[in-house]
Amino acid sequence: MGRLLDGFFFVFAGLAAVWLAYLSFTQTFTLGWAGIIMAIVFWGLLAYLVLPRLHRILTAIYVPDYFMGRTRTSDGLLGDPVNLAFQGERAQIEAVMAAAGWIPADPVGLGSSWRIVTSTLRRRSYPTAPVSPLFLFGRMQDLAYQQEVAGSPAQRHHVRLWRCPDGWLLPGGRRVDWLAAGTFDRAVGLSLFTLQVTHRIDADTDIERDHIVATVRDLPGVEVDVIRDFSTGYHARNGGGDSITTDGDLPILDVRGVRAAADAGAADAGTEGRP
Amino acid sequence: MSERHPRKRAAFEPVAAPVARNPAMRRPAATVAGGVLVLLRAASGILWGLTVVFPLPSWMQTVAGAADGSGADPTFTLSDLGLDGAVFFGILGVITLVQAVFGILLLRGSNVARVIVMLVSTLSIITAFAGWWELGQEITVGTTLVTVSLDILVLLALSSRDAAAYARRNEKV
Repeated sequence: MGRLLDGFFFVFAGLAAVWLAYLSFTQTFTLGWAGIIMAIVFWGLLAYLVLPRLHRILTAIYVPDYFMGRTRTSDGLLGDPVNLAFQGERAQIEAVMAAAGWIPADPVGLGSSWRIVTSTLRRRSYPTAPVSPLFLFGRMQDLAYQQEVAGSPAQRHHVRLWRCPDGWLLPGGRRVDWLAAGTFDRAVGLSLFTLQVTHRIDADTDIERDHIVATVRDLPGVEVDVIRDFSTGYHARNGGGDSITTDGDLPILDVRGVRAAADAGAADAGTEGRP
Repeated sequence: MSERHPRKRAAFEPVAAPVARNPAMRRPAATVAGGVLVLLRAASGILWGLTVVFPLPSWMQTVAGAADGSGADPTFTLSDLGLDGAVFFGILGVITLVQAVFGILLLRGSNVARVIVMLVSTLSIITAFAGWWELGQEITVGTTLVTVSLDILVLLALSSRDAAAYARRNEKV
């Protein structure tokens, strides 16, 4: 009963928001110069409340909720492609990424969101800038790393990682511990689907995937394996409406041979001697 | 083929929040927004009450009137109501107190308060919509647009998945 009521309010609020956007749109033309403010209010309502809610409702209906090699945005849209996998424990991945020069992203909050906006506008460096949440297995990313380019958060390498559920197998039956989605943020722009201000990504996601692999592959204890044609090569769009292309390969970074800082010395016997 | 996996997940998701018990969940922005908006309505009620008794600058009366939903005439005074001062403040005080209590309950993550506030907002929105659609009542910045906006924003915030998950964080799945 409670769930049913929740669903009703969720959809009703979406419809009411459409009406509110319409009302504020009509006000835009009756207020003279103040109409400009109403136009901004209208865009804000549309981009941050109305369209996300409508996408959320519609994608719940038409996007199947099983693994298809794509992440999803908080609005349920298909997001960045899953293009990397990891074997190993969290501490080992953290050690490898730190050694390869990747910087963990701050959690999204009011403070960090404000700071990424101001440092982008003023072209100031913000090396631990937050990344937007993407969802896989119904969960937000567990880890997020980035490398700022040219001293501004407008352009950056970034990768999000999700721990796979216990006993979960890739299509085809192979087991990996983590899946990851890496893309290159090339500029700030407007999302095609929600009109929100967001990062536009580079269309060739394979370049970013190979960059991530290149940064870690020569570190001691890291092995790289590749599942060729894990997905068919495809052209599509991500959650912000940016084109993406990929050849469909899935590199698997095996970091089980890495000694994590936390358990160095404690787990020598378990990790060393592995091929 | 090996043995069938006993528990396949459903391949579609519910529109409303899939609930996961999580007592340690941090209060999401949507819950804060909903609670603060309800508290603001309580505050605007007090402001409106003061304008009825004391002559405030007219811009402040207009703001208070619009925010409160009365669309109050700036020259509105206590004698226009034909009410005793004590009765007027009694009623206003109770309404404001109820709003303030609900605002605080929302911030504390009460699901009952969330559902009641959503119901009241829904009724208020339906009333406004019916008046606009059927009777052609104008909804502009000068009349009730601010009130209608507040109702819709409260409903959007409280019906969001984050707010629902937070209000149900202690429920058993």
